[in-house]
Amino acid sequence: MSQATATRTLTFSQAIREALREEMERDERVFVWGEDVAVYGGIYGATAGLLEQFGPGRVIDTPISETMIVGAAVGAAITGLRPVAELQSSGYFGIAMDELYHKAARWRYMHGGVFTVPLVIRLPEGAKGAGPEHDVSPEALFLSASGAYVVIPSDPADALGLMKSAIRDDNPVLFFEHAGLYAYRGEVPGGDHLVPLGEAAVKREGSDVTVIAWSRMVGESLRAAEQLEGEGIDVEVVDPRGLRPLDLDTILESVAKTGRVVIAHEAPKTGGAGGEVAAIIAEEALEYLESPIIRVASADVPIPQSRYLQQFLIPTAASVTEAVRRLD
Amino acid sequence: MTAISPATLLELYESMVTMKLWDQTALRLLQEGRVLAGYHSGRGQEAIPAGGVAPLRRDDYLMYAHRGFGYTIAKGMSLAAMFGDLMANTAGATGGLGAGIPHFADPELGILGQGGTLGSCFGIATGAAFSAKYRGTDQVVVCFFGDGTANRGAFHESVNAAAAWKLPVVWICENNGYAVSVPVAESTAGRIVDRAAGYGMPGVRIDGMDVTEVYRATSEAVDRARAGEGPTLIEAMCHRFRGHYEGDPQVYRTEEETERLLALDPITNLEARLVADGIATDERLGELEVRVQDTIDRAVEEASSAPMPGPERLYEGLYV
Repeated sequence: MSQATATRTLTFSQAIREALREEMERDERVFVWGEDVAVYGGIYGATAGLLEQFGPGRVIDTPISETMIVGAAVGAAITGLRPVAELQSSGYFGIAMDELYHKAARWRYMHGGVFTVPLVIRLPEGAKGAGPEHDVSPEALFLSASGAYVVIPSDPADALGLMKSAIRDDNPVLFFEHAGLYAYRGEVPGGDHLVPLGEAAVKREGSDVTVIAWSRMVGESLRAAEQLEGEGIDVEVVDPRGLRPLDLDTILESVAKTGRVVIAHEAPKTGGAGGEVAAIIAEEALEYLESPIIRVASADVPIPQSRYLQQFLIPTAASVTEAVRRLD
Repeated sequence: MTAISPATLLELYESMVTMKLWDQTALRLLQEGRVLAGYHSGRGQEAIPAGGVAPLRRDDYLMYAHRGFGYTIAKGMSLAAMFGDLMANTAGATGGLGAGIPHFADPELGILGQGGTLGSCFGIATGAAFSAKYRGTDQVVVCFFGDGTANRGAFHESVNAAAAWKLPVVWICENNGYAVSVPVAESTAGRIVDRAAGYGMPGVRIDGMDVTEVYRATSEAVDRARAGEGPTLIEAMCHRFRGHYEGDPQVYRTEEETERLLALDPITNLEARLVADGIATDERLGELEVRVQDTIDRAVEEASSAPMPGPERLYEGLYV
């Protein structure tokens, strides 16, 4: 029960679950729904045990109906509840896109601000060998969905702290979780661990190159930085921990310090959010750049269902290392 | 079948007259170039918002459709605020965002707003009904939609979940025979009311031009929902007198058809009945109309005096 007092080691999936548990204990308006989230505990285990603790009134298995899952979450949010709705795969965004883009993000604005829409939509993303529809990282699609926050943790401590903040925030939050990270273990602080939304983390300090990365690419970039250290290149890794609100101060401060930028994400390069970040840096900090910006991303092809083929497509630490070496 | 009291009949009549005079006034403002919005006249369909909203409590929830402003008028929304939105000025309920498609809302009155992409009402209605049940209140949601909207996929997902979970919703389909220009028979398999059986809930098809039928059917459905017995689908057959929107050339129907419809006017028919049954005199109903028009005129005046928003309005109310 309640919060752990000391630092503990949790998987990313357990960290999400602990955040849900702590916030459900704290606020009875918080409930969880989605496909297979109750008895089954979520296909990634992120809601395991919640049904036993909170009962079927607050942990709810829905029909396979993403339009309803998101639309009804908006209806519940504007009438006093704080839903956490799970789409079993972020690849289902298309089934719920009107509800995500026009309803969750805009219901407050278009009705003159008379409502708040305090909801969290959990969106498992990323390559896992399931194919072109399930393995997407569609965060950039929501860059133009003003009104909604886009939050993306890269490790268990951030997953817990950002989820707790997202649940407490009165804005709608699209919360992306890389499926390849769920089993990844990390240290999580005890107590009421909150990570503010819209605050980037400098995951590693360095003076030569800034690597801006999010989600699974943060860990890959940290591994790349270790290897490059041996070659005498001092890499700073900045994790914006989401795309909106975007912490420009931290990004631009790092760029001003290093003068060299690599942006790394798993989504394909064209239409990926790296393009937006690069454009902002070009507009705001061109005078600091000593080398062209390089983007590390997937190629512009659908993600194949074959894990064997995925290894040639999905960017890794080696992709980041290679990009950093190409900088002037 | 329970009788409707004379007092209730008069209230329903006044409600419909308000909608009709509102419509006339909005059309006049439109002609005068004072309306910065598209307008979908509700003339002819007043019995449905009047009879469908009257059984609700103040704290019950309303998801309204885009045809006329009868639903929000019946739920008690400020007339001046709605005129302000038509004029896109700061008197509007949205504080100056206007009403290309109306997005009036008033949480205090349970008015939850409207989406411009038709069909999004279904999910939000299911969620509001879930919320009422979760919070242990006995609030009910009434969701209005047209026969055209009934063919959006969101209908199935949301109506199914609401029925599976026995949520307190009343689904009221206004079947006026046309989805913009396409006749129902060409676009819709079977009868919409028959879908209720597929979801294991009661369904009833009624004459939507008769406010007493709408009031009775909705009252029964609201009572059932409030008692925890789940949703109901009401299909109210009706006719719209004007085009889908102002400026609609209506090439899909003949002038004879629209003229024939006028004999079905739900307001003049109730008026004749009130007089014939001795509930009201022509004189009294005439006075009522003058009083309602006066209220509407004052609301127009109040709304007209408000300033237009400045560019800073664009950035307000997006984030908390």
